[in-house]
Amino acid sequence: MKDGIVDASLCEIADSIAAREVSAVEVTESAIRRAQALQPTLNAFISMDADGALEAARSVDQDIAKGAPVGRLAGVPLAHKDMFYRSGRITTCGSKIRRDFVADRTSTVLTRLEQAGALYIGGLNMSEFAVGPFGTNVHFGNCHNPWDPARSAGGSSSGSGAATAARIVYGAFGSDTGGSVRIPAVMCGVVGIKPTQGRVSRYGLMPLSYSFDTAGPLARTVRDAARLLDVVAGHDALDPTSSTRPAGSCEAACGAGVAGLRIGIPQSYFYDETAPEVAAAITAATDTLESAGATIVPVEVPSHDQINLIWAAALAAEAATIHRKWLRERPDDYGALVRRRIEFGLYQPATRYIEALTLRDGIVRDYCNTAFADCDVLLTPTAPITAPNLSDVDVGDSENMPALVLLLSRCTRPISYLGLPAISVPCGFDSAGLPIAFQLIGRPFAEPTLCQVGHAYQQLSTWHERMPPLVANPGQGVPES
Amino acid sequence: MNHLSGEFVAALARTWHRFELPEQDLETLAAMLRPMDEAGEELSANVAFDMEPSDYLLGLEAMADAARDVGHDK
Repeated sequence: MKDGIVDASLCEIADSIAAREVSAVEVTESAIRRAQALQPTLNAFISMDADGALEAARSVDQDIAKGAPVGRLAGVPLAHKDMFYRSGRITTCGSKIRRDFVADRTSTVLTRLEQAGALYIGGLNMSEFAVGPFGTNVHFGNCHNPWDPARSAGGSSSGSGAATAARIVYGAFGSDTGGSVRIPAVMCGVVGIKPTQGRVSRYGLMPLSYSFDTAGPLARTVRDAARLLDVVAGHDALDPTSSTRPAGSCEAACGAGVAGLRIGIPQSYFYDETAPEVAAAITAATDTLESAGATIVPVEVPSHDQINLIWAAALAAEAATIHRKWLRERPDDYGALVRRRIEFGLYQPATRYIEALTLRDGIVRDYCNTAFADCDVLLTPTAPITAPNLSDVDVGDSENMPALVLLLSRCTRPISYLGLPAISVPCGFDSAGLPIAFQLIGRPFAEPTLCQVGHAYQQLSTWHERMPPLVANPGQGVPES
Repeated sequence: MNHLSGEFVAALARTWHRFELPEQDLETLAAMLRPMDEAGEELSANVAFDMEPSDYLLGLEAMADAARDVGHDK
């Protein structure tokens, strides 16, 4: 089982632990060894809790030995972006300002994962205060991409992407306000889900934007991510903005196939600045889904350029409200990029901000009625380029920063304004060996349909089975299990 | 023509938020704000008297229900 521990998916390792083919302690020790071995190269963790994880693993093994019922994630080591609060523990939010912040509550996401038996081995690196798609961090150091440590892991959930891709953990949660789950997912070659606004409770999640924040899973397979989402989805009385609509099972939708489903290919915007190798991989993935029985439909979508701008204005206004006191009193404790991207929210008129939110209803209705008139899901690139060099994106608040941010997030941020669900699924590699992914976008609360299509694609492809060279090659200082 | 200037941003910072912005930041911030102001101004024509932000949550539910009603929601 030793090699199997690293190779196994989240669902497979959970099944193996439950069947006593491997113990939770063995699996956790293996994860901790990989985390420690890779930390100097990837810097994926801000903090680790090896002792706590091993103690919890022993408890899971004892329950299983006694025949006690255990949850769907029993004994599975996870780690999460360091912005999910845990009562009594430090949650840094990737910042200098909150380096010693001790949370007074536990996030509903963590509570539900632990109720399902999941283990927690540490807090993961992230862009400061979840701002920025590059995964850079001036306070804790940049997170590095497992496929090429000179490259960006994507952000803002950089450690969630890197730790999952490097097979340190079997899955991780991040937050997504404009692409912060999906961008590290594509850059690191793992699956990432941004749920519908309100599908997952945000209680105990560091706020960036009241209107656009979501929490979502990253994992190696669609089925793994589906299970993680199923565990945390659903109404939470502690978050009044969470939807009371019953959550359909995403994992149950995996396996239904795509025959009869219509996949829409937007004829504008999403492919405009796409690199040729990315476009070719997306086309090949579309062909694969068509060969499996899906109908491919060209569709028109409303303009996204204005959506991007009013999303940025509203997000900044909300973030600036949260950060206003620190921006005045501790401006030098922010990284330059982060301060700049938050502070311009101070200069938005209140009327403009409220207009941006007021228009959201009409825009999402128009979008759904237009884009989804003849299809069940949209298929686009997740990002128009593969992981950039860290040296190219570590630009602080330089003049070209806004354009770089927009390029990396151009396919994800309009979907955040709309609040629609989306999933990023790996679909190839470029000539430099860097991952490429497509994004599926659905109608509100259509997460099961997205998982259905994504899982069907992974049954016909092997991209998600590839292992980053530094993980696959033990000679690079990584233990075998 | 958008007249949102660095000088105007400096005045907002001083008046609304009680701090001084470094001189070199003013034009950068103004340049970031101008396209948002243009887009917001253009879209504001679509705001009607009885609309409010919470309508959005109803919109999400309505679009999900509409999909289910026509059999799109598997």
